[in-house]
Amino acid sequence: MSKENRRKERIDRGIKVRSDGLYALLSWREMAYLIAPRFILIAGLLALPLLMPGLYWQRVISIVCIYAMVAISFDFLAHYVGLVCLGGAFFIGVGGYIAGIFNAYFGMPPLVTIPLAAIAGGGFCTLLLLPCLPLRGVYFAIVTLMYPLFMARIIEAFDLFGGTDGILGIDSFSSAFVEQYFVVGILLVFLFGLRRLVNTDMGLIFTAIMDNDQAVRASGINITHYKALAVFIASAMGCLAGACLTHIYMWSGISQFALDFSILPIAATVIGGAGTLAGPVIGCLILVPISELLRDFGTLRIVFYASILVAFILFRSDGIMAFAKRKYEQIERWTQV
Amino acid sequence: MEILVYGTINSVSLALMGLGFAMVYGISRVPNFAHGALYIICGFVTWTLFQKLGLPYGLAIVLSLAANGILGILMYRLVLIRVRGMSISEIISSYAIGLAILEGLRYGGFRGMTYTLPVFMDGMVVIGGVPVDYHRIVMVIIGILLVAGLWLFTHFTKLGLALQGMAQDERAALMLGIDSDFMAMLAMGFGAILAGVAAITILPLGNIVVESGYHVLIMSIAVCIVGGLGSWMGAFFAAFIIGYAQILSVVFLGSHFQMVVALLAIILTLILKPSGLFGQQKELEDRV
Amino acid sequence: MKRIRSGMCVALLALAGMVLWCGPAAAQKPILLGAPLSSAYLYGWDAERGIRLAVDEINAAGGVAVGDTKRPFAVEVIDTRDLEPGVPVSEALMAVERLILNKGADFIVGGPNRSEAALAAMSLLSKHKKVSIVTSGVLTPKYHKTVEANYDKFKYCFRIHGEAVNLIGEIIANFADLKEKYGLTKVFIMAQDVSHARGAAEVMGKVAGSKGFEVTGTEIYPTGATDFSMGLLKAKSTGAQIINIWMDMPESAILLKQWYDLKIPALPFGSTLAAAEQPGFWDATEGKGEYTLCNVVNAGNAPSEATPWTMKFYNAYTEKWGVEPEGLGASSSYMAVYALKDAIERAGTIDSDKVVTALENIDMMGVYGRLRFDPKTHQVIPATDPKEGAVGSILQWQDGKRVVVYPKSIAMGEILLPPWMNE
Repeated sequence: MSKENRRKERIDRGIKVRSDGLYALLSWREMAYLIAPRFILIAGLLALPLLMPGLYWQRVISIVCIYAMVAISFDFLAHYVGLVCLGGAFFIGVGGYIAGIFNAYFGMPPLVTIPLAAIAGGGFCTLLLLPCLPLRGVYFAIVTLMYPLFMARIIEAFDLFGGTDGILGIDSFSSAFVEQYFVVGILLVFLFGLRRLVNTDMGLIFTAIMDNDQAVRASGINITHYKALAVFIASAMGCLAGACLTHIYMWSGISQFALDFSILPIAATVIGGAGTLAGPVIGCLILVPISELLRDFGTLRIVFYASILVAFILFRSDGIMAFAKRKYEQIERWTQV
Repeated sequence: MEILVYGTINSVSLALMGLGFAMVYGISRVPNFAHGALYIICGFVTWTLFQKLGLPYGLAIVLSLAANGILGILMYRLVLIRVRGMSISEIISSYAIGLAILEGLRYGGFRGMTYTLPVFMDGMVVIGGVPVDYHRIVMVIIGILLVAGLWLFTHFTKLGLALQGMAQDERAALMLGIDSDFMAMLAMGFGAILAGVAAITILPLGNIVVESGYHVLIMSIAVCIVGGLGSWMGAFFAAFIIGYAQILSVVFLGSHFQMVVALLAIILTLILKPSGLFGQQKELEDRV
Repeated sequence: MKRIRSGMCVALLALAGMVLWCGPAAAQKPILLGAPLSSAYLYGWDAERGIRLAVDEINAAGGVAVGDTKRPFAVEVIDTRDLEPGVPVSEALMAVERLILNKGADFIVGGPNRSEAALAAMSLLSKHKKVSIVTSGVLTPKYHKTVEANYDKFKYCFRIHGEAVNLIGEIIANFADLKEKYGLTKVFIMAQDVSHARGAAEVMGKVAGSKGFEVTGTEIYPTGATDFSMGLLKAKSTGAQIINIWMDMPESAILLKQWYDLKIPALPFGSTLAAAEQPGFWDATEGKGEYTLCNVVNAGNAPSEATPWTMKFYNAYTEKWGVEPEGLGASSSYMAVYALKDAIERAGTIDSDKVVTALENIDMMGVYGRLRFDPKTHQVIPATDPKEGAVGSILQWQDGKRVVVYPKSIAMGEILLPPWMNE
């Protein structure tokens, strides 16, 4: 084929077409095709703590799961509800502090403080973010960016909850096994739960708010109410992640509001694939270990990591998930025009 | 009296920091999160030219401002032009560039507290019973001249009017033949130069450390939000509000509330009047 | 068959290789010192340099005698970035864990630099049972109080440099001298809003008040504050004669420069004033830092003759690194390595519990005096006489040099007042 007469064509793979809808039940091969990606994700995540050589890398997996939870909540808010939340650290900090307070001052065990922190933290964050929910545009983004800094300064200025020292002597999980599998398990529950959620009626309303909120308003649905609900779900996830972080490290302090916790989930979402809830998880799985491996280079690793981020935004802004999905479901070939 | 004098000084320094960010956002609607990095790199480049290479101070300043401008233009041309319009990507990519610059500087050996620039003039003078050092007075003068200059530039020169046109309505400007990408590139360059000017004026008061980059970024955002994203006059007035609020809180409440006040100002503005003082984003203020 | 045979050959070769490789190395397997430090910051790199200097000296002299073998020290430094404002403490904790679990560190020296991180790391250290000597930056009294409160859990944690309470004592002693010599009685306190500085400022206020000084005001500044004008003016208007500064943030340089320009008639008496501890401070402020006093916590960080070892260390450091010891971690990090060597040699093993006991019984003359740890709190025992205990140092910048002015036993000069104070 000469160059002038060629074009690249992308068509669905045969097996994808055959496994569309009910037809997937026709044969094991089609069912396997559909199940394989999800199975690999679940089995992979569950097997990771066992595969990791040594305690240190197992700890890294727990951190990956925590960042992944925040990243999923960012992805959910940004691409399914239209609210860009630049301050994941706010959720982690609030959740972390509540868990720390309940454990250190009231003596509750981790398996009680974590759900409590998730719900109480979710409520607290939603309450604080309520004033800017009726506004459109970049304001939500900026307010969420400012809140972690604000909270850190308030705790510092008023010397609350241990001030700059933080709360120490918090209990850890009862065993390493529980520690790792709890976080992995919760991550999987959230991931698939949210996927289900966005396909329900409520999810439909969220997406509609993102696309055309006037139409939703015209349908007589209270937008602020639904936005608040979405923020509650996302912040509950973030707070739960923060509570897990507190119990893993047995400490909670103002550095849980650090900028790192806001930026890395966003970077992971961009790299992994925005809009697909599994993308952020993959992004975290890539970014956090790379960050750890590069630790020997000192501050240079931040430069690497920032450059990779810029490169992805410029050249592969869909993210890895979109690329992988395309390769999995479609084939490209040259055809004659 | 002290409150008046030092309040003004504080406000002008905040205004200097915020002008660059306000200009870039106003004209091209790109939030330049690398603003803090541009501020610090100008300081370090001036230091290198002045201390290491031994160039005269004035020449070092001019060269480093030019370098900053070029850096801003390159940043836009190579990276931001491709993501223009997608606000999350703009924020992330400009923040990543800023991060890379700041951490790169730190890796390159700019650590510790011994990097300083000399003040323009030594000595102090007593104004109305309040002792003030000369450099701070010079800073106020530069700040006011800069704002006046910007106002004149955007109202009376062709380029300035083009920039203002783009800020007001991009589509209309395009129809009149103003190349929006080129203007946005220039705006970025100007913003970088303004960040550099702020650095040159404010850094001699203390020392140059990489952490100030993050601090400057947050203060610039604060000033621009309170003043209204996109209006540099607004930024100037907002700087006065925040500056005075900080000084008043130090005197009457206690100095450890300084930072809380600045952040509180943002939150209050967003709750009460989100488009800021002179904001032009009235459509964003639509409550849904 | 062929495949099995070649597979067996490969396996045998690999096994042989492993034995040969491990063989010689096992004879002098180095004792690995893990150093989680904030390498981009003064309190991190001065500690790193102190540690490396000590390790090089010890290895050159043959190493550490563990039982009947001699093993060298090896150092592994991981940058924790914990002194950076936007970085969460969990980074420091990950670094400590990486050193212990991944790199197999036998001892942790230097410790996370930020008090918050060091406190959080204590639980980690007790979990993995690794002896740790904190040498730079952790000034909070909470550290040794935590060891005391829960000895069995935290007995692996030691601190070899002075802490905030010592510093306050030293500063008050100096104030007493100033009162006697120049009649200065009014103090203004400016502190950074971090727990050790704020706590110290409060204690200082009370102690100074009880010793006959008038505290004319206390100002607390959040980290990152850039404007100190109102505080300085207040100090001037209330007639303060000494300004007690507790700040280690870089913005303290703004404060000092402005003090000089405004010619405030008060002596800037800093505690751990990081900006003023570096030899480059003089050039950086073009001489405006003159008369500033700061506390470098332990002797050896500024030139003095506390013990014969002090200037030996000082000159060795200057020769190796091309700059004089700066900051407050250099001499204490150096001594931590030597203290470990001493303890390991006496215990005859690197087993953590035995080393802990050996450290509790240590009694050696070091760079800054006699080195002993309090057995209950694992804090180094301070004193004003180098023959009794660990000696601190307060220095004043005079004519481009750092002159140690306290304690009297090692002072190289007297405190001078800025000329405009005598008007």
